[in-house]
Parts: sequence; structure tokens; C-alpha cells
Amino acid sequence: MAFGNTKKPRKLNLGLKPDDPIDYKDLELLTKCVGPQGQIVSRRRSGLNAKGQRALKQAIKRARHIALMPFVG
Amino acid sequence: MSRIYEGMFLIDNDTVRAGWTGAKSKVIELVQKHGGTIHTARRWDERKLTYPIRHKNRATFLLSYYEVPQENIPHLIRDLDINETVMRYLLLKADAVPDEERKLSEAENATDFVVPEPPADDAPEEREFIPTEYDEDGEPRPVRRPREPREAPKESKEPKESKEPKEVKEPVESAEADGAADKDKKEEAAEPAKPEPALASTETNEDTEKEG
Repeated sequence: MAFGNTKKPRKLNLGLKPDDPIDYKDLELLTKCVGPQGQIVSRRRSGLNAKGQRALKQAIKRARHIALMPFVG
Repeated sequence: MSRIYEGMFLIDNDTVRAGWTGAKSKVIELVQKHGGTIHTARRWDERKLTYPIRHKNRATFLLSYYEVPQENIPHLIRDLDINETVMRYLLLKADAVPDEERKLSEAENATDFVVPEPPADDAPEEREFIPTEYDEDGEPRPVRRPREPREAPKESKEPKESKEPKEVKEPVESAEADGAADKDKKEEAAEPAKPEPALASTETNEDTEKEG
């Protein structure tokens, strides 16, 4: 019996607890949460809750502003 | 009402080459001009920028925690925009000054602390930004390595060398194992160069089959 493609994307092991703050200077963490073209990974992949994903988004955007991370590529 | 802020300033490397204390004091004076007090200020890093700012590829990062009256923040931002030594800045509200920052900034203020001179603007960066790549299933891809070119002449040489010792050994072993081999074959085995290994093995097999 085939149940279709039920393969889920593997979650990133970020080692974060739900309320851990995400710092824009923590590049080791932030580079994990970015795709090949520099796009922020989805919640489906990062495994964060909504609050954590917002914090991640904010941190990556701050890092981009001061040229620690690229906008593209 | 004053509150604590965290500021990250990108300082032009040309001013840093003239002297780190001078470059640092330019930013500190700017904050103090607007009624601020500096808690900590230290050199966070000197690194390559992921995209050029003001036609510069490298900059020195100054991280500082300071207290400024909230009303003066727009004036401070205006001054930072005008300033030429500060290439870019990021001002954030902070709850408190971290203890680690206090220790690190104290260490920088010590007399024996030496700030390395920043490299040239086009110098290669050791720590390049390498984003992880994912395949269609969402699993991380291994790092790609360029393929090594195949070497054709070596392959042609190797089999010739490997054949020579086999020609000598195989007929002798097979003859001993069978035990019932003819005298003629033993003589052939004694002469190393003439018989080929494939032929010798087939002959012995055929003989054994016939006998059985």
C-alpha cells in the first residue's frame, strides 16, 4: 500500500529552547538558518515556534544591515 | 529619561590605521556630545563585509553599551549619518550591560592590549560565509569538491607489472595441489616465461574433470 509522498523535511538542530534569545552577532547560529541564496528558512524547517521565528528573522535582518550576512548569495 | 542602548558601529579602516584609540574616541565623543555616558566600548572584530559599503570591502566593528537620554537619540542618529568615520551603525535598546562585555572592554583598556593593524581592503578573508546547501528532500548536501583528472598512462602500466609474478606462481601451485598432473606440465611450470596463467589453469581443470 502506498500512502503518497509523506516525506517531511528534516528539522535543523539549532539547540535552542523556546524562549532563548537570538543575537544578531551569533553568526554560527544564523548561518545555519539561511538557505543557499541567503534566504531565511521556513518554520517548517527551522522547527521554531512563531515567537522564535520572529526573533530569528529580526536577528538575520540586523546582521544583514551591518554587512555581517548577505542579502543575496 | 535615559536608558541603556547597544550600539554597533562600522568604522572605516583608514581611520583605524591612524590609531585605534583615536578612532574609538571619535565615536565616544559623539555619544557624550548628546549627554550620554559610555559603559563599555570595545573592538568587536575586524572582518570582510558581505557587500561593499562606500566602496570598502572591510571594516572594524566597535561594540558599545551606553546611556543616552531618549530625547537626544534623533540628534545622535543625525550626527552618525553625517559622520564619515562611521560607515554604518545599529542602535538597539538593551535591558542591561552584560557582564562579559564589561570584562572584555576592561581587558581592552589595559596597557598591554595591542590592536592588530587591519589588512588591505582587497585582502582575502579566511572566514568566508558558506551557507549550507539543501537538496530537494531538505537534507544538507555535502560540500562539493572538484574532481581530480584521470591519469590514463598509469592504468596501462600497472597491469603489465602485476601479470609477471602471477605467470611464475600459479602453474606451480596448481600442479602441487592437483598432485596428479603430468610430468610434461611440471616441466612447463619450471620454465617461468612461456606458459600463460589463464591457459594453464584451464588445462588443469579439464584434466581433473576427465579423471573424475
